[in-house]
Amino acid sequence: MSSEQNSTSSSKRNLLSLDTWAVIVALLLALAVRFDILKNVPW
Amino acid sequence: MATSTSTSLPQVEPDSRMVNALSVVPGLVLLAGIGYAAKVLERSVNGYAKAHHWTFPNIEYVLWAILIGLVISNTLAIPKLFQAGIATYEFWLKLGIVLLGARFVLADVLKLGGISLALVVVEITLSLALMTFLGRLFKLKPKLISLLAIGSAVCGVSAIIAAKGAIDADDEDSSFAIAAILALGALALFTFPAIAHSLHMNDVSYGLWAGLGVDNTAEATAAGALYSDAAGKVAVLAKTARNAMIGFVVLGYAIYWSRQGQAEKVTNKAAFLWKKFPKFILGFLLMSLLVGFHAFSKGQVSTLGNLSKWAFLLTFAGVGLRTNFRDMSKQGLRPFIVGALGEILIACLTLGLVVGANRIWGL
Repeated sequence: MSSEQNSTSSSKRNLLSLDTWAVIVALLLALAVRFDILKNVPW
Repeated sequence: MATSTSTSLPQVEPDSRMVNALSVVPGLVLLAGIGYAAKVLERSVNGYAKAHHWTFPNIEYVLWAILIGLVISNTLAIPKLFQAGIATYEFWLKLGIVLLGARFVLADVLKLGGISLALVVVEITLSLALMTFLGRLFKLKPKLISLLAIGSAVCGVSAIIAAKGAIDADDEDSSFAIAAILALGALALFTFPAIAHSLHMNDVSYGLWAGLGVDNTAEATAAGALYSDAAGKVAVLAKTARNAMIGFVVLGYAIYWSRQGQAEKVTNKAAFLWKKFPKFILGFLLMSLLVGFHAFSKGQVSTLGNLSKWAFLLTFAGVGLRTNFRDMSKQGLRPFIVGALGEILIACLTLGLVVGANRIWGL
């Protein structure tokens, strides 16, 4: 693999941060709740 | 809390992706097991004490989860197999904060967030000055002083990690600063609620104090929740306002150290600020905005709130599990003394700020 390819794959690897993943998962959960796929989660 | 800049979920080749995904399972099961045990203990111990008419403090699941984690991490050697899953507690913390946005009316976010931001600016200025003074007094290395100042002024471990690269600090200094901040955060879990109870603080005042005075986001969230559910919510909001300032503080230090010729020059300040900005804050605000526009029914908001509590439960178990006092004590005494002195003074100053804000705005 060339150095250029290496740097491309490395930048791709860091595209999504932990924060972004947390926001994405939270929004997916919110969608699931909004459309009643996920309901009445007990505490 | 780690930063958006330092921590990312790796995107790897398909076959190794499966292995990576599986590697978090054991630790995740451990977090869930501790969380569930904490909930069972809360119910059963309190129920038993009530049935037998004992005078027993009402110990909530938050404290049980932290205590079980602390006992395990400080008495047993946790096998490496569990480490990847335990490290996911930072993800659950951020997920919990974004979902918690659903439990805030936007007007409250703006009001409390505005008060928090005003207090945060004062707190950051005082903390940076105080830690710099103490660090110089105890003759710590200049970059270690910068890291301790940033860690105690903004948001603990994440700020230290964000600053490490920006000011070109070495690994040893970062480890010292992180260990001091973590050890003091663990102590704050027990001292902050006790002091607040003795002062009969209300939920909002205490939540603000915990958010301003406790450095690490996970510990600030736990310290708030240990007092009450309402205090936990306010602590997260105040801490989030503090986290939002991370880019500005780190940028200031990066410029200072580059002028000293000891760090790289920051060429694009706007890009630097955006890179360091914790993106989960935007998710928190978006969630609050969606609830404000009635995108969810009352029952659905309650479900989102419960999902947030489950995410925090895993976080609290992780806080206990990653706190190892033996490892922390190996990092040396001087940074810890500087950190401890600074934190005690900052706790007093922030308490004064909150009491003042209570008089002015009637929290």
